[in-house]
Amino acid sequence: MKPRTITARRGWGRFALALLITGVPLLIALLGPLFAGEPGPRGASFTLGGGHWAGTDFVGRDVWRQVLLGGRTVVLTALSATALAYVVALPLGLMSALTHRGWLEELLMRPLDVLLAVPSLLLILLAAAVFSPGAAGLALLVALVNIPDAARIIRATAAEAAARPAVEALRMQGESWWRMAVGYVGRSALRTLAADAGTRLTGVLYLVATAAFLGVGVAPDAADWAVMVDRNRTGLFVQPWAVVLPAVLIVALTMGGNLLFDAALTGRGQRRTPRREPLPARKEIRT
Amino acid sequence: MSGTEALRGTGMGTGTAHGTGLRAWVVRRLLLGAGQTVAVVLLVFALTEALPGDAAVALAGDQPDPARVAAIREALHLDRPAHERLVAWAGGLLHGDLGTSLASGRPVATYLANGFGPTLLLAALTVALLIPVSVGLGVLAARREGRFADRLISSATLGVYAVPEFALGVLLVTVFALNLGWLPPTAVGYGTDLLAHPAALVLPVLVLLARPVCSLARLVRAGMIDALASPYAAQARRYGIAGARVRYLHALPNALAPAAQQLARTIDWLLCGVIVVEALFVIPGLGTVLMNAVAERDVPVIQGLAVVFGLTAVVLNLGADLVARRFTPRAAVAA
Repeated sequence: MKPRTITARRGWGRFALALLITGVPLLIALLGPLFAGEPGPRGASFTLGGGHWAGTDFVGRDVWRQVLLGGRTVVLTALSATALAYVVALPLGLMSALTHRGWLEELLMRPLDVLLAVPSLLLILLAAAVFSPGAAGLALLVALVNIPDAARIIRATAAEAAARPAVEALRMQGESWWRMAVGYVGRSALRTLAADAGTRLTGVLYLVATAAFLGVGVAPDAADWAVMVDRNRTGLFVQPWAVVLPAVLIVALTMGGNLLFDAALTGRGQRRTPRREPLPARKEIRT
Repeated sequence: MSGTEALRGTGMGTGTAHGTGLRAWVVRRLLLGAGQTVAVVLLVFALTEALPGDAAVALAGDQPDPARVAAIREALHLDRPAHERLVAWAGGLLHGDLGTSLASGRPVATYLANGFGPTLLLAALTVALLIPVSVGLGVLAARREGRFADRLISSATLGVYAVPEFALGVLLVTVFALNLGWLPPTAVGYGTDLLAHPAALVLPVLVLLARPVCSLARLVRAGMIDALASPYAAQARRYGIAGARVRYLHALPNALAPAAQQLARTIDWLLCGVIVVEALFVIPGLGTVLMNAVAERDVPVIQGLAVVFGLTAVVLNLGADLVARRFTPRAAVAA
């Protein structure tokens, strides 16, 4: 078994690395618009140099300026979609876990089971074909496709907590439903929910970026990293920076986000995958 | 109680009670699948036909031309009430009649037939590689747990897991097609016969594999570590059974259970991934047909493709659940 200090230090190292990978695109996304400045005159399409250190894009705009502007929609849409999904899924999941009426649970959860099988991107594309949603519409759609899964996880976690003897004791003491549901069950489910929120946020980020790449919820010339990748692809061989910069930022954001949530959740105490704790019997056999 | 029953009870652990439990579960799962099928059909219809206001005007585009509006109204039978249209459309589906395209007037079935080959090829290659690669990576990481190979595989799979296909794909194209010149950047000019140009398939399949492999490999690793540390593996070792045999015949089947449950989620990713990858590499498959139809607001084609994609997902989900149930008879999977 390793000394605790080394594991802890490695945990901090992973955390710092993940923070660095996520931090750069996140800062550009949130603060970039402040430094973008006024749009300059449009140059020729797909050129390098000439006052534009990252070149120009498909309509001759400065790529660096577009990069500074283009992260905010991705990040904000993903954040609001995640929040929105939980606003609906939390009461749904908690209610069906804590109710004693079987029919109510069936009524709440069965429709979600049915929806679970529909591919999420397909649902978004279908709705987009008809409604041509904006950024808010996209956030709503992404939230919608995340509700079934989130509600199921919340229900499963809460149901486990609600079956503990402590809840029985609270009930016998005559505590209110609210205290049991929020005070005990909600609190003991918090850890699992935090882990779920982390993976869900990266999943939502994936969906938002992919939908934008496919042209859902964004204008065709929008300052948006995913749209930039899509629209500047035609000039990839002439001016790769217009594609590579936003693509690298999206990769860093999603990759770093996942590493960060994992480091944050496994660093403190519990690990998701059980660490090596050699059983005596196992050790004997190994040697 | 007959002798055979008692024997079965002691033998493979499939007593009568368990047998009926399994049957009831399969029936429930099949019912859920049927419900999902109906839901897909209803959802597709509701989403594409429940346009606010006059659907024909909305579908005709930014400058509605009266002739085109009239043609759309005629083609979609918008003069009839919605429930009649639903019945007619769903009835057509049962007979394999998917309607005709608004844009070209050709039957939707021909669109499907044209795009089917490349998509099937992509999906088949991906699935064929998915299981050996993810099991291999997962077992390798589990064997080297805590050491360099494991840390590398674990970090890489965790990182790539959430990266959108288009961003990953575009970066791979930049490296392998632009910088190194090893592979073609897109499948443009190869038509639908992609098998004759395997080089054009390398990057699409690689991109399509990335996310599912990461998620499955992580689950196999975690399951394998648990299984190798379990009492039955220790007991097998005490009997002097060879390490490889313990690993692959005793531990691996148990380690695969969580991975099998994750298969359903993977299917969702693959169906979404196919759409993105086809758009990115300009492969003329079903995803491209769908995106073109979405761009043209060709409702019958969108409906037909959505039903095909949706039903594929329902059927594959059902299959994955049955497989997962086979691996873990004790754990109750979905439904």
